[in-house]
Amino acid sequence: MSAENLLQAAQELLTPWTQEVRAPEPNRLDIVISASDLPNAASALVLSPWGYLSAITGLDHGPEAGMIEALYHFCSASAIVTLRIGLPRQDARVPSVCQTIPSATLYERELMEMFGVDVVGTPNRQRLFLPDDWPDGVYPLRKDFQPQMAPVPSGASIKPAPETPTGDRFTIPIGPQHPALKEPGHFEFDIDGEVVTGASVRLGYVHRGIEKACEERNWIQCQYLLERVCGICSHSHAYAYCLGVERLAGVEVPARAQAIRELVAGLERIHSHLLWVGVTAHEAGFDTLFMYSWRDRETVMDMLETLTGNRVNYSVNVLGGVKYDLIPEIIEKIRQGITYLEKRTLHYRDVVTKDAAFLQRTRGIGVITPQEVERLGLIGPTARASGVVRDIRIEAPYGAYRTFPVSSVRETAGDLEAKFIVRINELFVTYKAILTILDNLPDTELTTRVPRKIPAGETISRVEAPRGELFYFIKSNGGEHPERVRVRTPSINNFASVVSLVVGHQLADVPLILAGIDPCFSCNDR
Amino acid sequence: MNGLQTLVTFLVFPSGLFVMLCGLAYEWVDRKVVARLQSRIGPRWFQPLADVLKLLAKEEVEPAGVNRFLFIGLPVVGLAGALTAALYVPIAGLKPAFSFTGDLIVVLYLLSLLTICIGLAGTITPNRFSLVGATRVLTQVFSYEAPFLLALLGPAMVAGSWTINDINYYASTRWLLLTQPVGFIVALIGLMGKLELPPFDAPEAETEIVAGALTEYSGRGLALFRLGKSVELIVGLTLVATFFLGGINNTLDFLLKTLGLLLVMAGISALMTRFRIDQVVGWWRYGALLALGQMLVIIALQIWKGM
Repeated sequence: MSAENLLQAAQELLTPWTQEVRAPEPNRLDIVISASDLPNAASALVLSPWGYLSAITGLDHGPEAGMIEALYHFCSASAIVTLRIGLPRQDARVPSVCQTIPSATLYERELMEMFGVDVVGTPNRQRLFLPDDWPDGVYPLRKDFQPQMAPVPSGASIKPAPETPTGDRFTIPIGPQHPALKEPGHFEFDIDGEVVTGASVRLGYVHRGIEKACEERNWIQCQYLLERVCGICSHSHAYAYCLGVERLAGVEVPARAQAIRELVAGLERIHSHLLWVGVTAHEAGFDTLFMYSWRDRETVMDMLETLTGNRVNYSVNVLGGVKYDLIPEIIEKIRQGITYLEKRTLHYRDVVTKDAAFLQRTRGIGVITPQEVERLGLIGPTARASGVVRDIRIEAPYGAYRTFPVSSVRETAGDLEAKFIVRINELFVTYKAILTILDNLPDTELTTRVPRKIPAGETISRVEAPRGELFYFIKSNGGEHPERVRVRTPSINNFASVVSLVVGHQLADVPLILAGIDPCFSCNDR
Repeated sequence: MNGLQTLVTFLVFPSGLFVMLCGLAYEWVDRKVVARLQSRIGPRWFQPLADVLKLLAKEEVEPAGVNRFLFIGLPVVGLAGALTAALYVPIAGLKPAFSFTGDLIVVLYLLSLLTICIGLAGTITPNRFSLVGATRVLTQVFSYEAPFLLALLGPAMVAGSWTINDINYYASTRWLLLTQPVGFIVALIGLMGKLELPPFDAPEAETEIVAGALTEYSGRGLALFRLGKSVELIVGLTLVATFFLGGINNTLDFLLKTLGLLLVMAGISALMTRFRIDQVVGWWRYGALLALGQMLVIIALQIWKGM
């Protein structure tokens, strides 16, 4: 179904509660409803089934306007329906949608602590990102928040783990510092012998307030800040941001620049997936595969370094195009690298599907059913390993993906082995796409001019990062700074699955299941 | 044997200093080979020695709530057990320093002493990683100990003696690897289990339980445990090489056979994914049955020959 048909269907579904309809962009529909109608309207969209809840954005209109808006973004293919709920700033409360959409709990917790919107009836009211000693009534993403209102970090913000096992609960803490975690997060697993009986997670150890910081910077600075949300998928963040800002500015990016963006996104996906193969093998105690895949990952790191001068934050994008051009020597280097990597990747696919010792750690472990994918709102390779194709590159092609499409990869088993196969098969798809781009590179300029002040408006841009759908909501007031940048990273959707999946598994499987979703703490704590 | 000579035997050669240095050198070989197989560069030749010396010089942090006597005593007892075991095996191809009837059983118990000390060291601290690690250490001891013992009894039975020195004489004329291949494989894998080498390193799986039973150990205690492990490596390799690889009669024999075995073990370590503890126990059920089966065959053959 095309976006128009989908939007029309959604509009019909929502008629009983609609107060006002706006169409800010061809693929979007903003529907204003009242707070009390939210659960019904959300259920109608999700249960019909029209689409899934992609994010909840809080939007503070400032003390003068006295209004906060809660935006519920529902996506289906390329169509996006936003339910807008205006709330009084002094007494902002909305009903929870967790009854029908359990995965909304994380978004609702964030809305509560960042905007002071009381979500009535949400199952978990604990803080998600803010420290435990953060004062009540201080909401960092409200417009009247001042940095000096934040508390000075103290040891009290970290809840000490109980000294000795109490009662019949024996809790294993993993993190914030633990050899299995390369980034800080805190997990508590109750175990009985070797079997996990309960789990909980606490994030926010490296929350940097990047969404807030974007409001202080100009449009160009924001791109460099957002690239630093994540060290692995820095290009995806800049890509999503640039797509959004260019759409607001009404700028068409030259074809060659679009192709180079897709190419770099492909290289990024290769290095991210090879990194994941290594990390997950290491969690299983298979260090040889870890060392091999990381050695071969150097090939793609070298390509990125040759192209951009950097290995990690390669910063290819500028607003309106890209910075670096593909010259013949670099093209040749990339071709050679891809040929080598194809050979190696075939070998890795053999290893993860045939090595008996490795298979007894991955086959049938951490199985996610398609129903759970829907219930928990999982995305990216995690969903695709369970037979649900959630891939923005295919569902809602953006940029050069319209010219150079990629094919979808899907496995149905839903266990760790399927996650390995999905990611490795995605590597092959990516190799093919990169070679196609190199063969058909358009010959145009690299950039177009983008004004310093971006016209007022709101836009949503979504790209498929290596870990899944990356969601950006950008609002401009027509000034030199963004009014609001909302970043919803893929890891946060998938985190919820770990806590429910590990129960009943062996303690030894826990690091593997955790690594299986390819968690990025830095993305969550943006 | 006069007093001074005994002291040298205990403290310098063949037990004591020599076997410790030898063990560290073998540990280096293991680490280097695994590193090369994983296309890494690996440590320099003196790295294990440097690690131990540095640890010995470091402060030993005693966690709150432990029994001080046990915390300090367990590494000493464990190392002493391993060093004592070294007195009864043909280290460096020499005649064992001591020998008596049934010393095979004593050596096996002394080697287990170190593992049990590590397990106990995990249980005396309130640290939860240590507790889980200790449970795994002790679970693993019970699963590989019986097959390992049964596998080593095979050569003892055909040699008609439970003295390591006598078995060495008997085995020097024939490679028991050829007549008892099952026993050799079980013994080799049992040795890897004893040493907690990958894939049997669940008790110290760093991605789950940090350093397992030894998480709270630092400084001297950790150094002594590590030395104990190195000594155990030498004694275990010597024992298996003596029994199955045609005995050990001179230094060259010793080096070739034990290093050869070490290379095989390093290869297996690099190839395998860590087993979960339930998988280890499951595996050893078959190991024990195989060893037992071979033993029954040997008994049957002995009786048949005797008739």
